Amino acid sequence: MLDRMLNHADLIEMLDDLARKRRLVGPVRRGERFLYEEVTDPRQLDLLFTYCVFGPRSYLFPPVETLFTFESENGAFRAKPMLDARPLALIGVHPCDLHAIALLDHVFGHEHADEHYLTRRRHTFIVGMDCGRPCTEGVFCADMGCHDTESGFDLMLHLLGEKANGHARYGVRFGTPEGRQWVLYGRRSEVPTLDDERAFDRAQREKAAAFSRRIKTPAEELPALLDRSYDSLLWEATARRCYSCGSCNLSCPTCYCFNILDDLSLDGSQGTRRREWDGCQIKSFATVAGPHNFRPKAASRLRHRIYRKAKWIREKTGLPGCVGCARCDRACTAKINSVEIYNQLAEEV
Amino acid sequence: MTPAPVLHANPGGSVYIPSPARVLRVTRLTEMEKLFELAFLDERPLGHDPGQFVQASALGYGECPISICSSPTQRDRFELCIRRVGRVTNQLHQLAPGAVIGIRGPLGHGFDMHEFHGRDVLVVAGGLGLAPLRSLIQYIVDERARFGQFHLLYGARCPSELLFQEDLVRWRQNPDVNLLITVDRPDEQWRGRNGVVTTLFKDLPKLDPANTNVVIVGPPVMFKFVVLEVLARRIPQSSIYCSLERHMKCGIGKCGHCQANHVYVCMDGPVFKYGELKAMREAME
Ligand SMILES: Cc1cc2nc3c(=O)[nH]c(=O)nc-3n(C[C@H](O)[C@H](O)[C@H](O)COP(=O)(O)OP(=O)(O)OC[C@H]3O[C@@H](n4cnc5c(N)ncnc54)[C@H](O)[C@@H]3O)c2cc1C
Ligand code: SF4
Ligand code: SF4
Ligand code: FES
Repeated sequence: MLDRMLNHADLIEMLDDLARKRRLVGPVRRGERFLYEEVTDPRQLDLLFTYCVFGPRSYLFPPVETLFTFESENGAFRAKPMLDARPLALIGVHPCDLHAIALLDHVFGHEHADEHYLTRRRHTFIVGMDCGRPCTEGVFCADMGCHDTESGFDLMLHLLGEKANGHARYGVRFGTPEGRQWVLYGRRSEVPTLDDERAFDRAQREKAAAFSRRIKTPAEELPALLDRSYDSLLWEATARRCYSCGSCNLSCPTCYCFNILDDLSLDGSQGTRRREWDGCQIKSFATVAGPHNFRPKAASRLRHRIYRKAKWIREKTGLPGCVGCARCDRACTAKINSVEIYNQLAEEV
Repeated sequence: MTPAPVLHANPGGSVYIPSPARVLRVTRLTEMEKLFELAFLDERPLGHDPGQFVQASALGYGECPISICSSPTQRDRFELCIRRVGRVTNQLHQLAPGAVIGIRGPLGHGFDMHEFHGRDVLVVAGGLGLAPLRSLIQYIVDERARFGQFHLLYGARCPSELLFQEDLVRWRQNPDVNLLITVDRPDEQWRGRNGVVTTLFKDLPKLDPANTNVVIVGPPVMFKFVVLEVLARRIPQSSIYCSLERHMKCGIGKCGHCQANHVYVCMDGPVFKYGELKAMREAME
């Protein structure tokens, strides 16, 4: 069910308003590619983007982030947390990335809540954008149940054909009271007609059918498939090609592992502690003093990543650990393809 | 127009900020290890279970996980035994009494002492594994009436690497502790046993399988051989405990470094029952 209708020009005017109060981040075309970038004018955004090379993750969980600064004082120290409460608006987030954000919300919000993430998150307004069709070759979001979403946005836009004046028309769904208020306060939206509702239903049905199902095993059965596959030679065979470069980790919207590092001023009187993205495919990730590496082989690291994505995260959080965006497949230097791994494992047993 | 950054300080708002603790005493144990006695500047007790750890910071150098090696019965101060292996641990080794370091914790799950009360206890330690176990051992010694027989087996590579030598002397003199020590490579002065830690099993009295808890902490290679000895004495797997080491950064289940299969060692451990490890293939590899 749609809540309201908005046309493109009106949406842009509302976003103009929003940009006065919040940093605006959304898809921007860069040559052949789209990237999530901060813009000052909503006209710089391209809401009909296919997919963004990276997810919007870096605006909620930045690649490098200062956790706190400290000053040494008479032999002791005083630390000051760095919490980023700048109001942010993420414009044009596809369903898969909304699922990925939901996972980050869970991880950082659960036990020992991480205020660095949560502060940013609390100040974030999200305008979702349904992709209406598989955004690109090789995505398997439908297999992961992530091609659609009922929540995780303040409002969701559905492109429903063009109006006579050539301007896009969006069906709007509200996700939160803030989203509802924003649209209604904009005073430019319209009540959906019966035709709009029909067009919306049709689009939803057609989208779900447009994915040629690519993983032979349903997502709920992947944990069981992996259970049977721990000792498969396929890990070793696939990992022979792996460079352990970690590109798959860096491009993944649900990867949240990090390292913690310190900086110190020359005189030692002050410094910072920061965190940086890290990845389980990087060889030193599990190395302890000795040195002893608990995952010395590329095969064990590859298996670890796939187990996390398709089994452990789901079992631990009840949420998909992989949203099927295929960014890891596209980013992989060695053309290692996760769907192929699942399907080959399924053929083995 | 983008609004100006509002990066604000929210004291206590970050789980990553350590609390300042003063170094009260530093004791050199061996070439590589020093014992640090610490107390929080605000005088609050650490309040830990044996087997838990802290994240210890040398601010500006980094932070690393270190087991708490003093008894929870000692409440006004706590001790850490730190081996010098790299950036953070080297920096901590430079510190003298009076210095202030950062402490986050206690973290993780230690030994559930209710499962130990009223039972015989066999503790097997290899190398630096004695450090996390010292908290448990001291607790048993301090609360001796709560336990049955107490055997402590300890193996080090050579006599100069024996940790906590003062404690070893004290425990040896204590009739309530059956302490057996061995070294892999004896030197001229060494009058004790030699060989790997499993050779000490032949000198143990008969264990009561129904009433004995066994705790094993040491390098991964040691673990398997000790478990064999223990299982051969018909001790059930559910009575065997161990503590795992992993690379750790956050200590609170976020950073992913410490995972062993599906388990976060920092949150679900570092203390595990042997039975739990069977579902964790990486734990033993
Ligand atoms: C639960 C637990 C309890 C521990 N208890 C003790 C103890 O009581 N006494 C003690 O001396 N050591 C203990 N350690 C090991 C100690 O954490 C590492 O030796 C220390 O982190 C090395 O830090 P560094 O900066 O000095 O070394 P680095 O210069 O960073 O590196 C030296 C080596 O240590 C590894 N390493 C670096 N950071 C970590 C880390 N955060 N976790 C694990 N390994 C790391 C590196 O991969 C490298 O191989 C414990 C580890 C864990 C996980
Ligand atoms: S594992 Fe690959 S396909 Fe799945 S969410 Fe991460 S990048 Fe996307
Ligand atoms: S991107 Fe490909 S080559 Fe690089 S670590 Fe991941 S799987 Fe290996
Ligand atoms: S140390 Fe970070 S998850 Fe365990």
